[in-house]
Amino acid sequence: MGSVSFDVYPGEFVSIVGPSGCGKTTLLKIIAGLLPESEGDIIFDNEMFDPSREVGFVFQKALLLNWRKVLDNVLLPIEILKLDKKKYVQKAIDLLELVGLKGFENSYPNELSGGMQQRVSLARALIHDPKLILMDEPFGALDAITREKMNLELQRIWADSKKTILFITHEINEAVFLSDRVVVLSARPSRMVGAMDIEFERPRTLEVRTSPKFGEHAAEVYKMLEIT
Amino acid sequence: MRSRSKAQPVTTKKMLSTLQKNYRSVLVVLGFFVLWELIVRIAHVPEFVLPSPSSALGHLFIEQPDANYNWSVHISTTIYEFLLGFIVTAVLGVSLAILFVWNRHVKKIVMPLFTFVNSLPIIAIAPIILLWMGYGIRTNILIAFLVSFFPVVINTMAGLDAIEDDLLDLIRYLHASKFQIFVKIRIPNSLSYIFSGLKICSTMSIVGAIVGEFIASDRGLGYIIINSQYAMDTPPIFSSLIVISLAGVALYWLITLIERIAMPWAFKNQRN
Repeated sequence: MGSVSFDVYPGEFVSIVGPSGCGKTTLLKIIAGLLPESEGDIIFDNEMFDPSREVGFVFQKALLLNWRKVLDNVLLPIEILKLDKKKYVQKAIDLLELVGLKGFENSYPNELSGGMQQRVSLARALIHDPKLILMDEPFGALDAITREKMNLELQRIWADSKKTILFITHEINEAVFLSDRVVVLSARPSRMVGAMDIEFERPRTLEVRTSPKFGEHAAEVYKMLEIT
Repeated sequence: MRSRSKAQPVTTKKMLSTLQKNYRSVLVVLGFFVLWELIVRIAHVPEFVLPSPSSALGHLFIEQPDANYNWSVHISTTIYEFLLGFIVTAVLGVSLAILFVWNRHVKKIVMPLFTFVNSLPIIAIAPIILLWMGYGIRTNILIAFLVSFFPVVINTMAGLDAIEDDLLDLIRYLHASKFQIFVKIRIPNSLSYIFSGLKICSTMSIVGAIVGEFIASDRGLGYIIINSQYAMDTPPIFSSLIVISLAGVALYWLITLIERIAMPWAFKNQRN
């Protein structure tokens, strides 16, 4: 991977867009501490940080444990971090309500649809109150209609939870719609080719996508990716 | 009180619906026995060639003057052997698989030896085992174990390894310990694999117990089969066969029942 450098401010929603093979996922794994950075640092609030406490991870697949009920899936990070589980049960119930799954605490994952499963994994990422949420193409496996619904939901959850989100996608419209800033990476050589601020009012509705300004932003991303 | 009276019709209903769902398979089995009975009676097949099922089953209940035909001793011996063989195999097989996945070096060293032992035809090495250990229940349990441990080990290992990389990443960044990964992810994930291994193992452990009895023993259904063959006394052979297959079906059914209790999530209706 080539050189990549960008800032994310607290409470921001930043997307990373790029073709497959550009190292988007590698970047997230470095931030989460799963891969060593060969050069450079991840600096968080001006200090080095512990990803296990400060990061919540959402993958393309929901990756729920089939044998655990929804509530226990949400509590998994608490168990792994050896925190007091009892203190977090109410929080898990609240988070499930936040992601729109009130009343599903005792369901098993295979009783839920794909979109609902992804909501559970979002609640799980939030349970230990991390400052930063990393999302690796979280809606890539969903159908187009569910995906748009989830985009709106994510915007709401992000606003409610006041988290910082770093969001990976190859859907340019999704990135422009959701983000305060879009970072564009290229493949071969994999490097950062630009970044762009998006300044639509929040909360955004799906209509914003039909505005000329939205089209201009999208066109600019396409240009950076040299798809013209 | 009220809840009990409410629950009653539900269970009866449930039993009825299970019966309704399975009545075809019950009919097929019954039909098979009826057809067998009819053929023997109509064609006047001699009993030493093929006894009718009624005579084979009846044989189990006739008071035998000869101590050799003390059915309760023979049946309980064989059931004891394969049940114990099965339990030993289940416990050891699952533990070995966990050890192998926990420490890949142990797996690399021991696995080739296991594969070697497994590819030996058990009927060929059983006489040697008998020579070393003498005949008896212990020997037959060992033979049952040797025939049936491999599918348990292989299936359990496959289950322990069938974890998505992303899922491992998800808990690794939280600094999950190896122990946590096993207890919270790998072992529960392997349950369905373990149960399919145990189902294969259940029938194979019966084969093992019978093979042991064939070669040398003084009791058990395998002993009856071999002895009756020498005496050209066919009905006890068929009685034994019926008992063996019933026991096999019962063990299989018991494993399925435990599976349903242990894995309630796997039997919920799927949405999507």
